[in-house]
Amino acid sequence: MEKKSLIKRLTGSREALLAVVLLVLFVLVTIVNPAFLTPKSLMDMLKNNAVTMVMALGMLCVMLVGGIDISIMSTLALSGMSIGMLLKNDVIASTPLAFLIAVAIGIVCGLAVGLVISRADVPPIIATMGFMYVFRAMGYLVSNGGQWAGAAALGNFKNFATTKFLGINCVIWVVILCYAFFFWFMKWTRTGRMIYAVGSNPSAAQVSGINVKNIKLLVYVIMGLLSGLGGALQVSVYASAMPDMQYGGEMDVIAACVIGGVSMSGGRGSVLGALLGSLILATIAKALPLIPFFDQLWLNTIKGVIILVVVVMNVVLQRVADKNALRGREM
Amino acid sequence: MSEYVLELKGITKIFPGVKALNNVQFQLKPGEVHALMGENGAGKSTFIKVITGVHKAEEGEMFLNGQKVDFKGPKDAQAAGIAAVYQHPTSYPHLTVAENIFMGHEIIKNRMIQWKAMNTEANKLLAQLDADFDATAEMGTLSVAQQQMVEIAKAMSTNAKIIILDEPTAALTRSESEKLYTLVDKLKEEGVSIIFISHRFEDMYRLASRVTVFRDSQYIGTYDVNGITNADLIKAMVGREITDLFPKPEVKLGEEMLRVEKLSRVGYFKDVSFGVRAGEILGLTGLVGAGRTEVVEAVCGITRPDSGKVYLEGKEAHIKQPSDAMEKGIILLPEDRQKEGLIMSWGLGRNVTLPTISKYAKNGLNDEKTERDLAKKLLEEVDTKAVDIFQPASSLSGGNQQKVVVAKALSQEMKVVIMDEPTKGVDVGAKAEIYAIMGDLAKKGYAIILISSEMPEILGMADRIVVMCNGRKTGELGREEATQERILELAMEKSSGKGASK
Amino acid sequence: MAGKSGRSINNVPESSIKRMIFSWEGILVLIFIAVNIFCAVFSEFYNVSSLLRQMPVYLAEVFLMLPMAYILVLGEIDISVGSIVCLSATMSCIVCNMNAPFIVVVFTGLAVGTVCGAINGFILTKFTELPPMIVTLATQIIFRGIAEIILGSGGSITMSNLDGFNAIGGKVGKVPYILFLVLILAVIFALVLGKSTFGRRVYAIGTNRLTAYYSGVHVQKIRMIIYTVMGTVSGLCAIFLLSSSFGANTTTGNGFEMDAIAMAVFGGISSTGGKGNIAGGVLAAFIIVCLRVGLGQQNVHAQVILLIIGVLLIAAVALPNIIGQVRRAVKTK
Repeated sequence: MEKKSLIKRLTGSREALLAVVLLVLFVLVTIVNPAFLTPKSLMDMLKNNAVTMVMALGMLCVMLVGGIDISIMSTLALSGMSIGMLLKNDVIASTPLAFLIAVAIGIVCGLAVGLVISRADVPPIIATMGFMYVFRAMGYLVSNGGQWAGAAALGNFKNFATTKFLGINCVIWVVILCYAFFFWFMKWTRTGRMIYAVGSNPSAAQVSGINVKNIKLLVYVIMGLLSGLGGALQVSVYASAMPDMQYGGEMDVIAACVIGGVSMSGGRGSVLGALLGSLILATIAKALPLIPFFDQLWLNTIKGVIILVVVVMNVVLQRVADKNALRGREM
Repeated sequence: MSEYVLELKGITKIFPGVKALNNVQFQLKPGEVHALMGENGAGKSTFIKVITGVHKAEEGEMFLNGQKVDFKGPKDAQAAGIAAVYQHPTSYPHLTVAENIFMGHEIIKNRMIQWKAMNTEANKLLAQLDADFDATAEMGTLSVAQQQMVEIAKAMSTNAKIIILDEPTAALTRSESEKLYTLVDKLKEEGVSIIFISHRFEDMYRLASRVTVFRDSQYIGTYDVNGITNADLIKAMVGREITDLFPKPEVKLGEEMLRVEKLSRVGYFKDVSFGVRAGEILGLTGLVGAGRTEVVEAVCGITRPDSGKVYLEGKEAHIKQPSDAMEKGIILLPEDRQKEGLIMSWGLGRNVTLPTISKYAKNGLNDEKTERDLAKKLLEEVDTKAVDIFQPASSLSGGNQQKVVVAKALSQEMKVVIMDEPTKGVDVGAKAEIYAIMGDLAKKGYAIILISSEMPEILGMADRIVVMCNGRKTGELGREEATQERILELAMEKSSGKGASK
Repeated sequence: MAGKSGRSINNVPESSIKRMIFSWEGILVLIFIAVNIFCAVFSEFYNVSSLLRQMPVYLAEVFLMLPMAYILVLGEIDISVGSIVCLSATMSCIVCNMNAPFIVVVFTGLAVGTVCGAINGFILTKFTELPPMIVTLATQIIFRGIAEIILGSGGSITMSNLDGFNAIGGKVGKVPYILFLVLILAVIFALVLGKSTFGRRVYAIGTNRLTAYYSGVHVQKIRMIIYTVMGTVSGLCAIFLLSSSFGANTTTGNGFEMDAIAMAVFGGISSTGGKGNIAGGVLAAFIIVCLRVGLGQQNVHAQVILLIIGVLLIAAVALPNIIGQVRRAVKTK
C-alpha cells in the first residue's frame, strides 16, 4: 500500500517528478563521465547559468498572471551595457553601485513594459516584442555604436564573479538569495498569493477587491528588476559587456519555466518548479559535451525535443486523468 | 433596531437598452430564510448583484438594520456582512481550499501568511459543514457540490450576517441537497438571514418562510409560504394562464426522422434511446446536469459518443463533426448564444450565413449580394427586431438574438432542429414569438427536439417528453399523461436509492 | 412563416469610401507618404530607382507576413518561422552544392518548409489544448537545432553554383522579380482572406472558435492548412534570401518571425484574433521596407531602425486603446 501511495504522490506532484528526472540525469551523466559530479564542475554549472536561473523567477511571476515577456534579454543587454560603459569610462568604480544602477535601469524598463500592458491593454507578446527591439537598440546606442567593454575596462567589477564567500562563489550567492526570497515571497506574503489569484481567476480576483492592473504592473517590474540584475551578473561572469549579449536567451528562460511546470495560461507554477526546470536545462547543457557522440551541436535540438515532450506529456496525462475521473462518476 | 435586517426600496437598474430592474422592493427579517423566485430573466441575478455591490442601481435606496447604505463595490458589501454564494462558484481553481476561503482576509502575522492557522480554521469550518475533504485540497479537483460548500464556508468565515444562495441546489444530487438543507437550518439557528434563489418548489417549501416573486424586472409580491398554493405561485411567476403562451398547433405526424439508439459517452450519459418524427416536437428535460445537452451534442458530432447509433430516416448516420450533421440535415441551436450560437461582434447577416457560405459561393469567393438578400429574407421571416443586417449581434436583446440563431438553422435545408434552452434569458413577449416560430417549423414538417428545464414550456409545447436523470433516460411521457409532478418524479429518480451501486 | 409585423430590415451596405478614409489603412497610407517624404529629405540618394535596387534584400521577409497575418487572425502565433527559413536555406544550399538542377533546389527549400509547417500544424491540431506559442517555441529551437547539426562545427555553408539564384534575383526593366512575386502573392492572400469562404471562416475561428465549430466550420482542418502554408512560404522566403546571401549559417532567419509579426500587427492585424486585413499588413510592410532603405542609405545602423519599428509597433496598438479609454472616461463624466 505504501509503495502505491508513494507513486501516487510522485505522479501527483510535478515538482517531485521533476526532481526524480533531475536525479536520474545526474546519475546517468556521472556514470558516463565521473568528472561531472565534482564540486567545481557543479559550481561552474551554477555560475554559468546564474542569469537564466535568476530570470526564470521573474518569468514565473509573469507567466503566473497569464503573460509573457520576450523583452527580458534586451533589458539585460541595456542594463549590462550601461554599467559596462560607465565602468569603462571611469564614471563609476564601485561594484555595489554598478549593481544598483543595473537594477534601477531594469526596474525602469519593467515599469515601461508593465504600464503599456496593464494600462494600455496591449497584448503581452506584442508589447514585449516592441520593447525587445527598443531596449536592444538602446543598449546598442549606449555602447556608442557597438563597442565592447572588455575585461580590462571593467576593473574590479569582474572580480565579483571570481570572489568566494564562505567557499561559494558570489554569483551563486546571488542566485541562492534570490530563490530564498522568492520562496518566501510567493508562498508567505499576501502579494505573492495575489499574483496566484489573479492568474487563477482574474474576474474573481477583481470581485474580491484585488487591483488586477497593479498586480500585472508589479510582475513586469519584478521581471525588469531581475533582468537588470541579470545584466550585472552577465557582465561580471563573462567579464565583458556587448550590446548583443544573450540574444535569443529569453527562450531559454521561458523553456526553463515550461519544463518546470509553469502554465502558459496562468495560475499554475511554483518557485521550486522554476528552479528544477532551469537546473534540468543547465544539466543537459553541461552534460552534453561530456557524452561521446552527442556534441554541443545537438544541444538545441535536444532542448527543443524535451520541451515538446514535456508539454505533450502534460496534455496526455491530463486527458487520462479526466477520462478516469469520468469513469468514476456514478450513473 | 429596525424590523428588517435588509430593506430595499424602489430599486431600478438600467443596462444599455434594457431595464433589468424596475422599481423593485424587498424586505428581509432577521434570522429568516427568504426565497426569491421568478422565471429566467426576471431580474433575480441583477438584484443580487445590486445587494452585493457588484452593480450600482440607478435609482432606489438600501437599508441595513435601518441605516441607509451605499455600496461602492463588492468590498463594502463584504464589510457590511453580506456574502453571496453564486450558482457557478467564483473560485480560484489552482489554489487550495483554505486559500479560497480566506482570499481577501487572510490570517496574517508579521506580514506573513499563517498557513497553519488558516488550514486549522478552514478545517474547523469544513467540519461544521460535514465536508469530506481537507482544507489543503486543490479547489479545481473538487466537485461542484464540494466547491459550493467551500463558498459557504467562505461566507461563514467573514462572519456574514446575510448570506445569499443563488440556485445552490441546481447542480446537486438529492442527498447533497439534503445536506445543504441541514446546513441552511444550522445557519438560521445561528441568527444568519438567508436569501435563497431557486427554481425548485421543493427547496422553497423545505426551507423558506416567506417568498418574494419577481417577473419581467418587476416586483410582484411577497407571500407566506404556508399561505400560497403552487398554482397561485406559478401564476405570479408566469403572469398569465399558461395555455395562451403556447400556440401549439395540431400537426399530423410524419415518418420517423431521427432515431438514437443506446447512445453512451463515458461519464456523461449511458444507453440513451429516443426517436422523433417529422412535425413532432420532442421535449427533452431533466435537472441541470442530467446529460441532456451532452446527448444532443453527441448526436450532432460536437463530441463523439463511445457507443450507440444514430439513424436518420431509417439509415445509420455516421457523424464525426458538426458539419457532417448539418450536411445530413441535423442542426443544434446551442444553449449559450454568446459563446456557441453567435459571433457577437459580427453583423447579423454574416452570423446567419456562416453555416452555409460555401453554398452560394462562386469559385470559392463569397457572393455577398446573394448572401445579403438571403440574410434579409431569413431575418424578416423570424421577425427579428433589427434595423439592418450589419448591426452587431451584441446590440440585440436576448430574444432577438435567439431569433437570429433560429435564422441560422433556416439558411439551409434541415430535417431535424434541436433547440437547447431556446428561451433562456428571453423576456416573456419574445418567448411567445419563439414558441410561435417553433410551431411553424413543426407545421412545415421539421422534426424538433426541445431541451428545456422550464416545466410549463415542456408541457405546453412538446408532443412527447423524454426525461433524463443522471445521464440515463428515466422515462418517456405522452402529451396527455405528462404532468409537472410526474416529470419531477422521473427527473429525480436517482434519489430513490439505486444510484449508489457501482 | 412571414414575419407578423412585416418589419423590413435594411441590407444595403453604406458606401465604403467614407469607411476607407477613416480606417487604419487610411492612416497607414498617410504614414507611408510621410515616410517617403522623410526619406527623400533625409537621404539625397533616395528615389524610385535606388529604392527598387535596394529593396529586394528586405522583401524576402514580407513573404512571411502574408501567412502570419492568417495565423494572427486565428488568434494564434507562430514563432518558429525564422528557424524554418534557416533549415530550408541550409537544405537548399546542400542540395545546390550536390550540383542538383535549380528546380530541385527550389523544390527542396519549399518541401522542407512545408514539412516543418505541417509538423507545427499536426502537433497543434492533435493536442488542441497546447498554446501555439509554446509549441512553436519548441519547434523553433528544434528546427534551428537541426540546421546547426547539419551545418556542423563551421556553422555556415556557401553555395558553389549561383546561376539559378542569380536568375531569380533578376529584374524586368528596373523592377526586381521578387517585387512582382510579393505583390502577386499579396493579392492572392488578400483575396482569399477578404473575399473567400475560407477567409470568412478564418475570421469566424479567430473571433469565436466555439461558435465557428458549432456552425460547421472545420476548425482543425483550417488551422492545419494555415500552419502548413506558413511553412511553405517560409521555404519560399529562404530561396529568395539565398538569392542575395548565397549561403546559409546558423543565424540565418534570426528574428524573422518577430519582423513578420511586427509588420502584420503594425498593419492593424490584432494578435488577439479576428481583426485586420492583408492590405494593412502590406502597407505596413512597405513602410518598414522604405524606412530601412532610406535610413540605410545614410548608414543609420540597423539597430536604430529596429528601435523605430519597436516604437511604431507599441504605439500602433497602445494609442487606439488609450484614445478609447479617454473617450469612455469623458463620456461617463
